[in-house]
Amino acid sequence: MKSTYLQDLAFSLGAIGGSVKDAEREGLLRSSADDLAAAGFDRHHRCPPDETAYDLARAAVTGLDVADGVDAIIYSTCLPGNGSVGDPAAFAADRDVKHLMEFPASRLQADFGLGSAVVFGLSQQGCTGMLGALRLADALLARESGWSRVLCVAADRFPADAVYEQSYNLISDGAAACVVSAAPPGLRLVAAHQITNGGLHAATDDESVGTFFSYVPRLVRDCLSRAGLTIGDIDWVVPQNTNHNAWQILARLLGVDPSKVWQKSLPETAHAISADNIINLKSLRNAGRIRPGERILLVMAGHGLNWQAVVLEATEGLA
Amino acid sequence: MTRRVLVTGADGYLGLRTVQRLLAETDDRLVLSVRAADRTELADKKSRLERETGTTAHRRVEVVPADLTEDAPLAGVATDLACIVHAAARTNFDIGRDTARRVNADATARVAEFAAACPRLDRFLFLSTLVSVGCRTGDIAETVTEGDVEHANHYEWSKEQAERRLAERFAHLPWSIARLSTIVADDDTGRVTQYNAFHNTLKMLFYGLLSLMPGLPDTPLYLATAEFTARGIVRLTRPETVGGVYHLAPSPDEAVPLGDVMNTVFDIFERDPAFVRRRLLRPEFCDLGTFAFMVDATRGLGASPAAGALRSVAPFSEQMFRPKRFDNSRLRASWPDAPAASGLPLVAATCATLVGTRWGRNPAPNGVTPDAVPQ
Ligand SMILES: NC(=O)c1ccc[n+]([C@@H]2O[C@H](COP(=O)([O-])OP(=O)(O)OC[C@H]3O[C@@H](n4cnc5c(N)ncnc54)[C@H](OP(=O)(O)O)[C@@H]3O)[C@@H](O)[C@H]2O)c1
Repeated sequence: MKSTYLQDLAFSLGAIGGSVKDAEREGLLRSSADDLAAAGFDRHHRCPPDETAYDLARAAVTGLDVADGVDAIIYSTCLPGNGSVGDPAAFAADRDVKHLMEFPASRLQADFGLGSAVVFGLSQQGCTGMLGALRLADALLARESGWSRVLCVAADRFPADAVYEQSYNLISDGAAACVVSAAPPGLRLVAAHQITNGGLHAATDDESVGTFFSYVPRLVRDCLSRAGLTIGDIDWVVPQNTNHNAWQILARLLGVDPSKVWQKSLPETAHAISADNIINLKSLRNAGRIRPGERILLVMAGHGLNWQAVVLEATEGLA
Repeated sequence: MTRRVLVTGADGYLGLRTVQRLLAETDDRLVLSVRAADRTELADKKSRLERETGTTAHRRVEVVPADLTEDAPLAGVATDLACIVHAAARTNFDIGRDTARRVNADATARVAEFAAACPRLDRFLFLSTLVSVGCRTGDIAETVTEGDVEHANHYEWSKEQAERRLAERFAHLPWSIARLSTIVADDDTGRVTQYNAFHNTLKMLFYGLLSLMPGLPDTPLYLATAEFTARGIVRLTRPETVGGVYHLAPSPDEAVPLGDVMNTVFDIFERDPAFVRRRLLRPEFCDLGTFAFMVDATRGLGASPAAGALRSVAPFSEQMFRPKRFDNSRLRASWPDAPAASGLPLVAATCATLVGTRWGRNPAPNGVTPDAVPQ
C-alpha cells in the first residue's frame, strides 16, 4: 500500500472575536456563559456580515504552499449552504437553479491557479468532514498513480441570526486547509475509520451527548484495530474543541493519560466546526511536541451522526 | 379474636398492596393512616382506598389522617392494636438529609413510641430496605447493623438510623424489620404501576441519554415483585412469626448480576423497531470516579435531559460497585413456602412492559394506567 503524508496545516477564523460573555449578551447562546466557561470556552470568532465561508477557505489556503499545484481539491462543508457561493437572491429573482450551484471548490481552483486539479465536495459528514477529506485524499492518492498532492479544505460559517452553540459547545466560524502528499515528509496516514449512524440523523443535542461516550470508544478501538495498534501505541490524542470535560472522561474510558489529549486551542478558538483537528494539530506541532515516530490520533464526532478518526505517524523532518 | 392492625403509608404502593392482602388473607380489622394536607386530600385518599380495597371491606377498614412528622400523630387511634405495619416513608434516593431524617428516622421513632403505648401489640413491623446496610460488601446477615457504615445516599442512611433506633431505644417492643429489595414490577407478568430509579435508568438507556453504566458487571441485584413483597409482609405480621430482622428478598443465588440484567434489557430493547433503527450501543461499564466526574461535569448542561439522566442514576451508583450477599435463611425458615424469585425473566417481562408502554405514556394492553409517570 502506498503511504500518504499530511503536510502543511493552515486555518482561518471569523474576523469578529468576542468573549463567551459577549456571546451571551448578544443572545447567541442557549446555555449560560458560566456553564460554557466551565466547559472550557473563553472566546469565539464570528464572520462579519460580508465575510463568507468561502472567504474563510481562501484565507486558510493562502497559508499553504500550493504554488506547485495539486491534483485534486476536496472541499468539505458541514452546513450544505456553505457548499455554494451563488447568490440566493439571484435564484429568487429568476428561479434558475444554476445560482445554487456555484461551487466554492471550483472557485478556489480558479483563484489559486490550480488548473490541473479536479474537485470533490463533501457535505454530509457534519463536523467530521475534514477527517473524511483526509481519508478520501489517501484513497485517491493510492488509486491515481500519477497524482502526488491533494488539497483538503473545510470551511463553514453559521448563517446570520444563528445560535452559536451546538450540543452545549460554543461555536466559531472557521476554515482549515492542509495538503495530503504521496511523498514524505509529514505525518504519515496510518489508518482512518468512520462510523455513520443514520438512525440518529435527527439527533437532539442530548442524544448527541448521550451517544458520544459509547460511540467514540468504539470508533477509537475499531480504528486502532484496523491499524494493528492499541491505545498504548498512541502518543497524542488531538480531538475536536468540544466540552473539555468530555475528553477528560473519554481519556479515562480509553485508558489515555489526560495530559496527552491536546485540546489547547479550545479556550481561544472554540469549536470551529470541522477545522478543530487541524487547528489543534498545528498547535501541537508549533509547540514542538511531536517527535519522529510518535503516533497521533485525531477524533471527531459530527451530525449525521458521524464519527471519524485518523491515526498519523510523525516522520523525520516534519513539514 | 379479631386483630386490629394499623398500616401507615396505607395509600402508598406497598402499603396498599399489603392492605389488600391483609383483607384477602386474614380477618384482621385495619386502621389505615394516610398523610393528608386537608379535608379534600383526605376525602380523595379515602375514596381511592375504598375503590382499591373493594366495597365489602369498608366494615373492616377505618382511615385516619396522620402526618407522622408532627407530634403525637396517632393520638386519635385506639391503642388496642395487635400489629403495626409501618410503611410510610419518603422513598426517593435523591432526598435531602433533613427530610430523610424527619420523615424516615424521626417519624419511625414516633410510631414506635405510639406502639409502646399499645398493651396488646404483638408485632411492630418496620419496612426498611436492603441498602440500609450501606456500602458494606460481602455476606450480610439478618441482624441490625453494628458499627459505622457509609451510605450511598441519605435515603439509605435514614433507613439505617430508623432500624438502629428501633433496636436500641425500643428493644422492649416486639419489632421486626423487613429489609425489602428493589421492586421492579407488580407481579411476574412485568406489569408496572410504580416507577422508581430502576425504571428511570432503563428509560435513559432506551432513549440514548445514558451510555455509561456505573458498576461492576458481577454486582448482584436483588429484584422482586410487589406481589412477593406484600405476601412476605403479611407473613411477617402473623403472631406466630418470630421477630427480628428479615431480608424479604430473593436468595443470593436468585440475585441477578448487573451485567446479565443489562444484556437482558438490551435484548428486549432490540426487539423494538424504533430502538433498532437508532442503533444505540450497549452501555460501557465505567468506574465510580469516572462516573462521578461525569455527573459533576454535566452540571453545566443545566436542565438538559442527559444531565438529568446522570443525576437520577448518581444517588445509587455507588451501590453498583458494592456487591453483597444477603442471607435470607431467617425469612426462608419463617416462610418456607415463599415463591422462588424469577430473576432475569422478571427483568425481561418488566422491560417489555416499559418498552411497550413507553414508560407509561401509552396505555398497556391490559389498560392499566400507572400511578406516576417519570419525568
Ligand atoms: N417500593 C420499593 O421498591 C421499596 C424498596 C425497598 C424498601 N421500600 C420501603 O417500603 C416502604 C413503602 O414503600 P412504597 O414503595 O410503598 O413507597 P410510596 O409508594 O412512596 O409510599 C409511601 C407512603 O408514605 C406516605 N408518607 C410520606 N411522608 C409521610 C408523612 N410525613 N406522614 C405520613 N405518611 C407519609 C406517603 O404519603 P404521600 O403520598 O401522601 O406522601 C405514601 O403513602 C417504605 O418504607 C420504603 O422505604 C420500598
